[in-house]
Amino acid sequence: MSEYRPLSLLAEITYRCNLQCPYCYNPLDLGAYRDELDVTTWCRVVDEAADLGVLQLHLSGGEPTLRADDCCKLVERARYREVYTNLITQGTFLSDDLLDRLLDAGLDHIQISLQAADAPLADVIAGAHVHDRKLDALERALRRDVAVTLNCVLHARNIDEVDRLIALAERLGVRRLELANTQLYGWAFRNRAALLPTREQAERAAAVIRDARERLGERMEITHVLADYYEAFPKPCMNGWGRQFMTVTPDGRVLPCPAATAITTLHFENIRDKSLADIWQRSDAFNAYRGTEWMPQPCRSCERREIDWGGCRCQAFLVTGNAGVTDPACSLSPDHRLIADAVSAKRTLELVPRRR
Amino acid sequence: MSAPTFAKGVRFRRLPDGQGTLLIPEGVVSLNASAAAIVELINGERNPAAIARELSERYGANEADITRDVKMLLNDLAARTWLVLGEAGRQRTIATEQR
Repeated sequence: MSEYRPLSLLAEITYRCNLQCPYCYNPLDLGAYRDELDVTTWCRVVDEAADLGVLQLHLSGGEPTLRADDCCKLVERARYREVYTNLITQGTFLSDDLLDRLLDAGLDHIQISLQAADAPLADVIAGAHVHDRKLDALERALRRDVAVTLNCVLHARNIDEVDRLIALAERLGVRRLELANTQLYGWAFRNRAALLPTREQAERAAAVIRDARERLGERMEITHVLADYYEAFPKPCMNGWGRQFMTVTPDGRVLPCPAATAITTLHFENIRDKSLADIWQRSDAFNAYRGTEWMPQPCRSCERREIDWGGCRCQAFLVTGNAGVTDPACSLSPDHRLIADAVSAKRTLELVPRRR
Repeated sequence: MSAPTFAKGVRFRRLPDGQGTLLIPEGVVSLNASAAAIVELINGERNPAAIARELSERYGANEADITRDVKMLLNDLAARTWLVLGEAGRQRTIATEQR
């Protein structure tokens, strides 16, 4: 029990958002999360997380700056407890005034997303005319005394323009760029047939990113989150279930992975009822897939079992209906044909926008 | 080499158990004891010689040896973009403004 110490907590302070990106990993039943924790309870979450040894707090959502005052309060609280703070935002509300307040409170890092390199496509994906405003927010943040990462979620519609995304980042003087293939959960899983790039698209983008990394060296750090449907082995999701990460949802549920509410066979305890330490150490949900004891074959005897930790439990559940099997994205999984089927399935152009 | 500073979004923190860490965007880097002792003295005012002097007084070790270790570590951390070394830092700022 004590061998597990959380390093990082993702605070999803609201699932509300003014954008409608179809690749959102938030759950489909957004209405079930409307009873949001108040700021006093969120401050308690930060305090209890710091007591447990959490070193980094990520404020996310939805769009966290819809609760701008609460974001500032939580950053201040975390800073007081020496916890590193990261704001994950799409930037449409990031005024100079809000930047002032966040930086005064001690914010360390901002991750701002763009949906594409140019407005026409970006605005179609976001479901609103916001690209220019987001670009402006990014440029203003880059001039401030805070670390900034530009994030772009990649999928079939925009992956062919990674070269232009990199050029844009270069032009703006971005030092950290994250190009993340869509993680297929929540709304993104609902839109899988429209979002999943073809193998050729994924490989072409990977080559462009490799070249850019070589050319840019330490001028720009590019993080490339791979499309796991095309990898031989699964991602080490959360670096292992219940090992280092936890997520608290807007209504107070504590999860081992941000997508975990998809797993309907697990019950997730709520911070309104129990302490964070109690949930982290003793809840059935956190202990269900901890370590390697739970593993079936082929994971159990696999030499990679403590490298990828069986892959992703949420993906196993979404694709096979059983959270306790090897991630089907793994080429060794007996269920891998389900991934191969999705890869070879006919693509659609129809995108279902995320509900606001 | 003038006084090193932490890059934006990078902080040193010593944990309750004594472990020295660098908190960086999206990650935590554990430092060994001697690296932590060096990094802990970075305050934007001490240059590498001043850091080495302070450490050699504290541990009674040879100042020349420590100066070499300090410079090596600072260069390494700067190459990973976690530190900004005085001169390079200024050049980088100018380059950014020119874009």
